[in-house]
Amino acid sequence: MKFRAKIVDAACLNHFTRVSATIAKLAKTCTLRISPQKLNFIVSDKAASGGVSMWCELEQENFFSEFQMEGVSAENNAIYLELLSENLSRALKTAQNARALKIKLTNKHFPCLTVSIELLSVSSSSRIVTHDIPVKVIPRKLWKDLQEPTVPVSDVSIYLPVLKTMKSIVEKMKNISNHLIIEANLSGELNLKIETELVCVTTHFKDLGNPQSDIVRNKIIHFDLLHEDVSLQYFIPAFS
Amino acid sequence: MLKCGMSGSQVKVFGKAIQALSRISDELWLDPSEKGLALRSVNSCRSAYGCVLFSPVFFQHYQWSTSVKVNENDSTTSNLNCKLGMKSILPIFRCLNSLERNVEKCKIFTSSDLCKVVIQFFCRHGIRRTHNVCFQESQPLQVIFEKNMCSNMLIIQPRVLAEAVVLFTSSQEEVTLAVTPLSVCLKSSSDEPMDLTSSVYSEMFVGPDEFDFFQIGADTEITFCFKELKGMLTFSEATHAPIAIHFDFPGKPMALSIDDMLLEANFILATLADEPSRASSPPSLCLSQKQKRSDLMCSTNNNSKTGKNATSKAPGCILRKAAPKRLYPNETQTDIPALENCGSPIMKRVNEDISEVPESSVSNTEEGPGSSYLRQFSCVFFGAVSSDQRQHFNYPFDSLATASDSEEDMNNGSSSTF
Repeated sequence: MKFRAKIVDAACLNHFTRVSATIAKLAKTCTLRISPQKLNFIVSDKAASGGVSMWCELEQENFFSEFQMEGVSAENNAIYLELLSENLSRALKTAQNARALKIKLTNKHFPCLTVSIELLSVSSSSRIVTHDIPVKVIPRKLWKDLQEPTVPVSDVSIYLPVLKTMKSIVEKMKNISNHLIIEANLSGELNLKIETELVCVTTHFKDLGNPQSDIVRNKIIHFDLLHEDVSLQYFIPAFS
Repeated sequence: MLKCGMSGSQVKVFGKAIQALSRISDELWLDPSEKGLALRSVNSCRSAYGCVLFSPVFFQHYQWSTSVKVNENDSTTSNLNCKLGMKSILPIFRCLNSLERNVEKCKIFTSSDLCKVVIQFFCRHGIRRTHNVCFQESQPLQVIFEKNMCSNMLIIQPRVLAEAVVLFTSSQEEVTLAVTPLSVCLKSSSDEPMDLTSSVYSEMFVGPDEFDFFQIGADTEITFCFKELKGMLTFSEATHAPIAIHFDFPGKPMALSIDDMLLEANFILATLADEPSRASSPPSLCLSQKQKRSDLMCSTNNNSKTGKNATSKAPGCILRKAAPKRLYPNETQTDIPALENCGSPIMKRVNEDISEVPESSVSNTEEGPGSSYLRQFSCVFFGAVSSDQRQHFNYPFDSLATASDSEEDMNNGSSSTF
């Protein structure tokens, strides 16, 4: 198994760092799947993550100037690595003004993802920073649990309102209750509701579009974020 | 009797010094002398020592007068011998930025008969804040360490060090500084086997031209406590002065210092000694001996307190997950010749003490079942401060490091070179 990749463009590096930071906020542990064309961050729906699952996909050529990988075998040309998302995010954050960033799979007493950064410094000499992030190689027999989830047939699908607004509303609601009720219909209306013994608060959103494809289903809420060259799908199981 | 005054911006630097020393231990000695006001701190396992000496010109005004006590034998001038708890003094110097803005003048004065330090802030709008802090009578400890005799010396701007320090998580206990004549590397240090949950290993290579001064005798790698380095670093950023790092070989203490016209700061840290296979490592006093020695030093300190016993904390201040080891100093052979050259009677004490330690020196490899390698920690030697230089000649065999129970022995310390 081999993996080596390099980022030289500052914008790509910044973007990759931000994706990694987002993943770190969503899940403590995640699986990184490396295949010839794509990189995926996967959280599978185990009890440990509260039933939440996530599938994030990046087209590697949008980020890396060099990308070489060799999977477990020719038929199974992929590498699945488990790591602590915080570790990768933090390592990438130290690459703020990097001239180049290299990532490779290494084995230094323990399999690691080695992030090697060449930093620009004030003086002429450059500084080399290296981080060895411990990873666990996931054996092929467990790969079936980590495949792209099929988008379930849904009852309602709706475009979300401006995320910033939604975020601030949900953050405030978090202080009052631990459970959130989401109601949506095919007329472009979405309600976010919290109910406690003392108080009930509902925020109504109107005139949201309903896309053709299906997103929301009774049992599972599927958030699909599409942004430039990154797609992130997040599944939250509902209580009822 | 101490009386001094500072402006708002000076209070900020003073407060930063206290914060940096709080990383070393929970206790602070206020030690005024004619050289200036020194703040000293030593950690419970005696593996780190910090001292910030503010010269009289740092202050707006500085007045120090010793009180002369007459006892039976001779009249001796006494130091303030003031020890404060960090818990009492640190909150006073919290929010340094607002202190800098609001405080017009700060006065600190003591009265030893009342065992109190009074800190007064004269703030804007006519507000005056007074803090009365009680102190314990305790002789400050000082370190004997000739930093100028170290073969390796680096001077670096705090900004560069700060950029390196940011690589490591706050849970990182120890870091290693590895130097060759061509490069300097700061890296995380851990002797546990790696697994998925271990912390990331990080390292940063810095080229020689990033240093203001670069003198490396030989390739060396020293490992020391990260928390103490960070403490020194935040202080240096407040003073904007470059940091000098003096070190030798693993096992010998290292010094981090800042020297500018107004103040002099020194942080002496113990470093990890190499495995026994290394030729230059001290012919080991085995672990049990070390523990004995560490017990000796511990009990010594207990005796020197008049008040509550603050060093009753477990000496394993740097606890490893594998096997708890004490970052406890023990004398290294090379320290001894250096000290011998001073011709100080302290030397005699040291020799004496070593001979007191049992002869049977069990080899280190027999120790520590389960740990694949043993490490020793080097010694930082301490002497008590006395304002009277002549004293130690009268009492050459008094020792801080004997397990004496009587208090008189402790009060007759000898002065040191720091």
